[in-house]
Amino acid sequence: MNIVVCVKQVPDTATERKLRSDDSTIDRSANGVINELCEYAVEDALKLKEAHGGEVTVLTMGPDQATDAIRKALAMGADKAVHLSDEALHGSDALSTSYALSQALKKIGFDVVILGSESTDARTGMLAAMLAERLGVPQLTLASKIEVDGSAISIHRQTDYGYDKVEATLPAVVSVVEKPDPFKPRYPSFKGIMAAKKKPIEKIGVADAEIDPAQIGLAAAWSVVSDFTAAPPRGKGVVVNDEGDGGTKAAEFLVSKKFI
Amino acid sequence: MDFRLPESARAVRDGIGEICSHYDMSYWERCEADKRWPEEVWAELAKGGWLGLAVPEEFGGGGQGLLELTVATETLSASGSAGGSAFTYVLTPGFGAMTIARHGSPEQKAGLLPRLAAGEIETCFALTEPDAGSNSLAITTSARLDGSEFVVNGQKIWITGVQRATWMLLVTRTIPAAEARPRTNGLTVLLVNVPEAVAAGTLSYRPIPKMGANTTPSNMVFFDDLRVPARNVVGEVHGGAVVLWDILNPERILLGASALGGAEVALRVGVEYARQREVFGRPIGANQAIAFPLAAVKAKLELARLMLYKAAWLFDRGEPCGTEANIAKLTASQAFWEAADAAFQTHGGMAYSLEYPVARLLADARIGLVAPVTEQLLLNYLATQVLGLPRSF
Repeated sequence: MNIVVCVKQVPDTATERKLRSDDSTIDRSANGVINELCEYAVEDALKLKEAHGGEVTVLTMGPDQATDAIRKALAMGADKAVHLSDEALHGSDALSTSYALSQALKKIGFDVVILGSESTDARTGMLAAMLAERLGVPQLTLASKIEVDGSAISIHRQTDYGYDKVEATLPAVVSVVEKPDPFKPRYPSFKGIMAAKKKPIEKIGVADAEIDPAQIGLAAAWSVVSDFTAAPPRGKGVVVNDEGDGGTKAAEFLVSKKFI
Repeated sequence: MDFRLPESARAVRDGIGEICSHYDMSYWERCEADKRWPEEVWAELAKGGWLGLAVPEEFGGGGQGLLELTVATETLSASGSAGGSAFTYVLTPGFGAMTIARHGSPEQKAGLLPRLAAGEIETCFALTEPDAGSNSLAITTSARLDGSEFVVNGQKIWITGVQRATWMLLVTRTIPAAEARPRTNGLTVLLVNVPEAVAAGTLSYRPIPKMGANTTPSNMVFFDDLRVPARNVVGEVHGGAVVLWDILNPERILLGASALGGAEVALRVGVEYARQREVFGRPIGANQAIAFPLAAVKAKLELARLMLYKAAWLFDRGEPCGTEANIAKLTASQAFWEAADAAFQTHGGMAYSLEYPVARLLADARIGLVAPVTEQLLLNYLATQVLGLPRSF
């Protein structure tokens, strides 16, 4: 089975994240890490390979330093990678990103494309759906479990009452959600990290993937950041003195804030 | 000259660092408080091949050496486990796996190394005796050949990790110290199957209540007509000194690495408090009396790191490393103690509260000035062996 897993490098959520002052795009110059949900996508891809054989290819769109995120996925066990990197892609929004990735995916070929259901930077959560539409294949979103049987693929999608089982035929696009132990992404092993340094990363540009430059980049973006301000510093909390009625007061506070 | 770590050692730092990033200070504090082995971290280390780093690849290991184990121990310790808990790593990947890989017979290697690499079995090391601490050559635990077996009698103390060990590397006298010429002759290292010996009633142990490092219990161990097959000799009969040096130098380096990691933790804790704690309207770290001890620790721990890596590098090349190992152990242990002391002073009275991590760090750091070898004996080695000053004994 030809499995492609889309991986994104994002600014580390544990550090201060910034927008660039010149064009309001995300500052990706420092503290890049693999997007957490992408690690789950890699884990699910590796599990599918372990069960059905085949090959796992990592696809990343991003600047040069995104190589670190690719190496992490390779260290976890993916076989090879394609890095779509081109200055012309800078500032692409979700729509144009889905277009660029779909062009790269057509070139790579796939039975199943797996990606995290959202990234911690832009948080649109729309890419899987857009990608499926662009590629003309079924979308199986928010999967907590993936099963393949011949040309049939099915997923579990958590609901308030249990889970939905969603079925489709391959090829398909799957987006995955966070899962508890023991389904968490594996840590790279020593041999995995050493082997990853030797695995091939094919670097391609816009022309290689036959991407129309008019449909990508900041200029082609349908969504525009018109303005932004820094989040205000956190104010002082409310202290509730418990005089036997602490529970009631706490509940009243939560009601006033519309939490309950 | 290239000061960058090789790719293999960087992989160790990144890989173990990533596992440890999911286990914070409070995890290690709970392990210590509950006197509990860090099972979760251990399982991840086993799964990722991190326990078999120094096991040759043909036996399922990573094919690396002491430098990688040094970086592993430092990383584990610096993540918050600090000195005491990092001992967990030294017992099996250091004492057991590396010694068998270097000195084991083909049968010992084939039988033990794959399982040690996979974390399926663990080891401990027994040298120190109640009447032979720093003077290791004076040990009296005897091994007498009887047919195809050695019969062992004697007593050891401060033997860490017996509870979990399948195999003990036991240092015995096959020629009494008084008769041995030279004194290093007549030592024999035996592999003892601990559970079997306990079941046979020929090996017993009693944990020693101690002030720290409680994730790994330390014990008194008693041998009463313990029978060990002659094929379980590691190295040569009477020639155990060669094996012993190859355990003691790595032990100094690895426990030095553990102290270095501990120094990093203590410095981090001290610096963080010095930044946050405000007295007289400013962070106390703005006062040089607070800042300079922390800065001095930084200088010392970086120096210790250089010497640790150099000592490990020499060992891996098969070159003499005694001087470097002793200097590294001395400076790393002092850096940890001074870091813990500086962190203590920085915290003021709050350091005395067990709700802060400083007390645990202080206990971990203090033992480093004594074990596995005292500061004084390290200085004595440098004075007599390196500077050529007259011996006092």
